[in-house]
Amino acid sequence: MNPRRAASLLPVLAIVLAACQPAASESPTGGESPAGGGGSAEGCLVGVSWNNYQQERWAKADEPAMQAVIEAAGGEYTKTDANDSEEQQITDIDSLINQEVDVLIVLAKSTTSILPAVDAAEEAGIPMIGYDRLIARESVFYITFDNQGVGTAMAEHMLAAVPTGNYVVIKGHVDDPNADFLRDGMDLGGLQDAVDAGDVTIVYEEYTDGWQTEVAQTNMETALQENNNEVDAVLSENDSMAIGVVAALADQGLDGVVPVSGQDGDAANLNNVARGLQLVDVWKDAFGLGQTAGHVAVQMCQGVEYADLKAPDDLGDHVAPEAGVDAQTFDADGTSVWSITLKPTPITQENLDLPIDLGWIEKDVACDGAEADVAACQ
Amino acid sequence: MTDVATTATGPAEEPRRPSIRRLVAATEIDLRLFGMVAALIGMLLVFGIITGGRILSASNLVTMSVQAASVAIIATGMVIIIVSRNIDLSVGSIVGVTAMTYAMLMTGTGILTDLLGRGHPLTWVIALAIGLSVGALIGALQGFIVAYVGVPSFIVTLGGLLAFRGVVWIMSGGAGVAGLDLTFQILGGGPQGSIGGTLSWVVGIIVCVGIVGLLAYSRRQRRKFGFPVRPVWAEWLLGVVGCAVTLGLVFIANSYLWPPALAERFAQEHGITIPPGGLRIESGIPWPILLLVIVALVMSFIANRRRFGRYIYAIGGNPEAAELAGINTRATVMKAFILMGVLCALSGAIAAARLNAASLDVGRGYELYVIAATVIGGTSLAGGIGTIPGAILGALVMATLAYGLQYIGLSSPVQDIAAGFVLIVAVGLDSWNRRRAG
Repeated sequence: MNPRRAASLLPVLAIVLAACQPAASESPTGGESPAGGGGSAEGCLVGVSWNNYQQERWAKADEPAMQAVIEAAGGEYTKTDANDSEEQQITDIDSLINQEVDVLIVLAKSTTSILPAVDAAEEAGIPMIGYDRLIARESVFYITFDNQGVGTAMAEHMLAAVPTGNYVVIKGHVDDPNADFLRDGMDLGGLQDAVDAGDVTIVYEEYTDGWQTEVAQTNMETALQENNNEVDAVLSENDSMAIGVVAALADQGLDGVVPVSGQDGDAANLNNVARGLQLVDVWKDAFGLGQTAGHVAVQMCQGVEYADLKAPDDLGDHVAPEAGVDAQTFDADGTSVWSITLKPTPITQENLDLPIDLGWIEKDVACDGAEADVAACQ
Repeated sequence: MTDVATTATGPAEEPRRPSIRRLVAATEIDLRLFGMVAALIGMLLVFGIITGGRILSASNLVTMSVQAASVAIIATGMVIIIVSRNIDLSVGSIVGVTAMTYAMLMTGTGILTDLLGRGHPLTWVIALAIGLSVGALIGALQGFIVAYVGVPSFIVTLGGLLAFRGVVWIMSGGAGVAGLDLTFQILGGGPQGSIGGTLSWVVGIIVCVGIVGLLAYSRRQRRKFGFPVRPVWAEWLLGVVGCAVTLGLVFIANSYLWPPALAERFAQEHGITIPPGGLRIESGIPWPILLLVIVALVMSFIANRRRFGRYIYAIGGNPEAAELAGINTRATVMKAFILMGVLCALSGAIAAARLNAASLDVGRGYELYVIAATVIGGTSLAGGIGTIPGAILGALVMATLAYGLQYIGLSSPVQDIAAGFVLIVAVGLDSWNRRRAG
């Protein structure tokens, strides 16, 4: 489900592999594993249960990055697609268990209804990776991005650009926990302090039905009306809503004047960054996430304990975990799970070259109508 | 026609109660429309009181009506569909497909931009033509299956609702597309997408002359064929009130001035020096509203004066009788779906222009708002009964309610509850009224 998470991307696979996996593409089969993993994973079968493979992102970024690492280490890769159905995903995992996979990677549609399948894999003694979405079991190693850090990065960038003034906060869907999670992250990023100090006033804050662009637009129109256009900054929790916010601002001649935040690295929004219509787009580099999962799976093939698992040494600085490459404990509602948490990357005009160079977005798409002084577009 | 009733409450309150009915009878105003206008004004007054009058500012009223325009335009088509004893659940998805079509044609790396070059004056015309054709084609496809293959429209369009949303995904590869042609963006309204003060007065005066002309023409025709005519005072009342309301609305639209930031940018770009006290540019009637008015007139004309429209009501009243009377019911139903597709494409153009983008979810949920607006506007789901102005008023009621509740800061779940409540109460009152009358 979750079309809002549909990351937009137009990657060039060749660049991806070259940029993300230098070690992988160069290392001979059966030789050294990519980096730091130590040893090969010859004959090891890694099965992935995708929830919604039809979303472009998985096929173009996550999967090739993951697959490259596994195959470079001599392992094999197989996958299933649940087509956005909880029941189908449980069947999928059963079938992967029956194929006797050595490692199981799961992008869960639902973090609760997946549990019977997780139990089955646990009984079969298969090590598991919860990919991108938390599965609160000790038997599942969690690989994700610091989601709260996304909100933090938004707030930090916005406060640096607009230290004082009237803020509008456009939040996600009301019963999606991620919406509140991001909002908490904003407070950690200094928003609460700025409000307490009287520097920032939050003049409008509202959830957005289904994270929809049109709903965000009407909400932003109301925010402007209520405040006589006296709005200095807009914190939008994702990119599709940021499009609606910018459209509402444009009606009042405030586009490019009032800075806006977003996340997902959608093509249209990265382009808006280049055009100066969006201040920051917090991007979660799916290549890095896939590479990490592949690397961890290879170590699992070799029987490395969860506590000793490591992130790849050659991860890009923009995603490398702040806590270092070693696995950390992650508190999931009282259950402590082992986890590697990658860093989200705030993209502004200064580092727009990063998603372009990694092949996430084509230069002519990102730079269409860009402002004159954007270095990445020269 | 609907506006006529708006201020008729004024003079109507002075005489004693029974004469309201006599007044209504003399002016031949539809009681249902009269009631809806009263409800709309009542709602605005309540919100006005709660917000200390702030919500009644010109900018709020304009924003509110622009937000209603997309749904209202489709609702006029839904009247035709429902009157013919069909339903169209796929409207939101057709809006999505057409909005995505416009965006993919016109964005900076889009097909038309590649062919014609950026900012070519014909870009928006070609894109609009292609989008409207896509809407018509989708309508023709669904209409064909309904009318000639004989699959119930509920099923066909339920399939369409799912399938065409999937088409949006495949077209775009699962990502929104932004950055449309500058001229095309005008369709979306906002100060830059409005026709300006002077033109708005011209439009107002034309409408005014039209109202008077129509009244005079219909009086002459009635006399010629020996039909009863309204009393002269009633004709005058309708004419004066109609003109006053039209010009009043133009006045409101014109008192919405360009926001200072926009006016300054405009001044800089055009080398105008800003006079002390700021640049005063009247916005005037927004394009989506103008389009809605045109659609309303054309659709009312089609429904009441064209053979196609009369056939639709005949089919809705009694399909077998219509068939026996020699009406080609299949072709008529198929035409209704084509018309619906075109209206969805027009609405998609407004939505895409307003957003300056097409996201994956443009139009999502429209089917519910449109059907609710149509039904609140007095269209019977059993078919045969329904009016175009009613549906537009229904859309305005829904939009006003949503905007007002949102403006006073109620959360979105509470807004949904209120909208559901109003839908049931409105239709409940209507059927109660109809039973009593009839």
